[in-house]
Amino acid sequence: MSDATKTTNLTVAQQLREVRWYQQPRWRRLGALLSLGLLMSMVTGVQGTHNDIFYAVRENFSDGSVAVWLGLALLVWAVREFASAPFTSSARKVKGTLVTPLGAVGRLWSTERWVRWGVIAAFAAILVWGPMGLSRFWQTVLVDQIAIYLLVAVGLNVVIGWAGMLDLGFIAFFAIGAYSAAFWTGALPVQPPVVLNNFLVIPLAVITCLIAGVLLGAPTLRLRGDYLAIVTLGFHEIVYLAAKNLGDVTGGTSGVKVDRWHIDLGFWTYEWNVIDQMPFYWLLLAFIAIVVFLFIRLEHSKVGRAWTAIREDEVAAASTGVDTVRYKLMAFAIGASTSGIAGVAYASKVGYINSENFVILLSILVLSYVIFGGMGSIPGVLFGAAFLVWLPEFLRDFVDPKDRHMYLGALLVVMMIYRPQGVIPSRRRQRELEMAEAGTGGADATGPASGRQS
Amino acid sequence: MTTDVRTDGGSAGTTATDNGDLVLDAAGVTLRFGGVTSLNNVELRMHRGEVLAVIGPNGAGKTSLFNSLTGAYTPQEGRITYRPSQGGEHELLGRKPHLVSRLGVSRTFQNIRLFGALTALENVKIAAETRLKAGPVSIMLGLPNARKAERDSDRKAHEVLSFVGLVDKLNELAGSLSYGDQRRLEIARALATDPQVLLLDEPAAGTNPTEKLELEQLIRRINRDLGVSVLLIEHDMRLVMSVADRVMVLNFGKKIAEGTPSEVQQNPAVIEAYLGAVAEEDTAAVAETIAAHEAAETDADTDDTDDTDDSAGGSDGPGKERE
Ligand SMILES: Nc1ncnc2c1ncn2[C@@H]1O[C@H](COP(=O)(O)OP(=O)(O)O)[C@@H](O)[C@H]1O
Ligand SMILES: [Mg+2]
Repeated sequence: MSDATKTTNLTVAQQLREVRWYQQPRWRRLGALLSLGLLMSMVTGVQGTHNDIFYAVRENFSDGSVAVWLGLALLVWAVREFASAPFTSSARKVKGTLVTPLGAVGRLWSTERWVRWGVIAAFAAILVWGPMGLSRFWQTVLVDQIAIYLLVAVGLNVVIGWAGMLDLGFIAFFAIGAYSAAFWTGALPVQPPVVLNNFLVIPLAVITCLIAGVLLGAPTLRLRGDYLAIVTLGFHEIVYLAAKNLGDVTGGTSGVKVDRWHIDLGFWTYEWNVIDQMPFYWLLLAFIAIVVFLFIRLEHSKVGRAWTAIREDEVAAASTGVDTVRYKLMAFAIGASTSGIAGVAYASKVGYINSENFVILLSILVLSYVIFGGMGSIPGVLFGAAFLVWLPEFLRDFVDPKDRHMYLGALLVVMMIYRPQGVIPSRRRQRELEMAEAGTGGADATGPASGRQS
Repeated sequence: MTTDVRTDGGSAGTTATDNGDLVLDAAGVTLRFGGVTSLNNVELRMHRGEVLAVIGPNGAGKTSLFNSLTGAYTPQEGRITYRPSQGGEHELLGRKPHLVSRLGVSRTFQNIRLFGALTALENVKIAAETRLKAGPVSIMLGLPNARKAERDSDRKAHEVLSFVGLVDKLNELAGSLSYGDQRRLEIARALATDPQVLLLDEPAAGTNPTEKLELEQLIRRINRDLGVSVLLIEHDMRLVMSVADRVMVLNFGKKIAEGTPSEVQQNPAVIEAYLGAVAEEDTAAVAETIAAHEAAETDADTDDTDDTDDSAGGSDGPGKERE
């Protein structure tokens, strides 16, 4: 076939010229921008109704706003494609003025001790006192959701990001932690042998989740990727349905009231109360800081390396002497207990739990936080969880609250196409992806490299 | 069986070739995959401190033998006894791979299996620290024993990497090293577990002549300086002849010959296995043909695409096509 030989003999430059007009990247960019314009007109326009599913489409696309958005998209595209010179040069200037001081700080960061500590202290100060300036609504979001899911996501990161096991039922451990808190503080219909303070429940919840993690893990860790995912999904359903249907034990859907955090030393008592969110925030911040600190140590240790080895090539890891089953169980147990701590924190903050706090959707959402932020990277996971929990709350003011997760989904789809490694990817993970793309590695998103032997 | 287990307590024997001092002693090993019998009643007697080469056409079962020795495969029949220098006897057949490695039998892979996204140093550290006692809790709390374990594994890894000549590439990604360096890094990773027996699966495949010479030196040093017994699968006859003390030949999963390199080269069964014809001619010419055939085969082997057995060798090898 002459056509085939022709294309194979073309140089890259020739190929670029031979590409059909509609295949040129600029037209794809136009398409993307116009779609974004349509989406924006939907997001900002009237919202849908049950009675007439095309109501919003008709309304929004018939008034002038859609034209404004499309025009805007067209303008951005035209400027970018045909008149970008003045913009890029001024952008470069702005970047130059910004980068020089930033670069200087960066250099000082690596050489001067006090700069490093100064920056860290400033950052910590913002983290600690910054939220005082937020509205009550955002403070509540920060404590009840962002802080709690940060903890859960950091735990899930151990399982999926470091050990490479896909867990779709991670909220099950969160539920176990929350119900442990309810049980040991005497909130459930069944009474514990001794009623304990919330803080004393934490080690018990950790142990319970460790045991649950090992019980789930031991028989299933032989399974690879997809099969393990299904098992964890099933585990979640079991825990959820048990919480829902064993009303006499768990309180079921009507839920139970749990004591909030308090300290009672006899001579001195302190109670966290809902009037002020900040003490709750500081407590959770301390939890997160401790967990992150411990996990960073773990990542750069023998354990973190062994997890990476297992993720990359289980066969090679085993013949190098790594006890793969033990390390996988360890990841499962450590992740589960972190999630359990988050569960205790949640129950002791909100003061009320019912089975509907632990639906499967949450497991999936937490997974998406981890993947969005960057599997295996602690800064990435922290960012991913914070951003994706914040986003739906932020959208509340702009779109129909029922539609919020739709936009979250769209964001994830776009993200996975253009930046599958996540916002702040881990170095190891990114390299694995690059190698897989270059065909030199066997790494896929989750499972270990499939064993080839010859 | 002589049970003189404590012959030379401590130091791995250097030239012990008396029949009693077997570090690996396998008999009747039979491994089947459905209808395929990749190992058929194979016997292996490896003396402490020797370099034993395993040769045979592609598909003869050499890698299967390695996999059986290291726990990756579990043969249906047979026994594999390992006798470490500090005494005792261990059955390797059916033992989990990481336990085999901890006992002191370590291996490399025919198709390099490094942890590509980790640095050379990290690759070796993983192997160096498998026996160190430091649990996740003491690591998280930064306890002294965890710090010591980290320091020890670092020192060990540096030591091993300088032994194989890779110290200047400590922080390079394993996946971005040259082919020869990757082979050496795999050997370093295997050595970091402090093995008494090292199994090398075609370590020279895909390396250039200079790298081959270096590899030859390295195998000698591993054997002499570290006192490690080496089991070597290799297609390059020149390399085999120069480093191996003894050679065993596999064909169709059966051991067809065993002896010194020159004995094996003259063995009619071996010549037949390699040439597919009974050739009782000038042995020098035969040896040359074998070398040429093997060189061609090795070249074909370097790329991972499996269409090996090409006609480059000129003679039609009787060895089965690989998978
Ligand atoms: N995992 C496996 N499943 C099925 N057959 C296998 C497997 N491993 C090896 N074999 C078969 O065993 C035989 C020997 O293969 P192998 O040990 O790789 O040979 P060599 O290393 O000598 O080239 C081949 O016929 C191969 O197809
Ligand atoms: Mg082989």
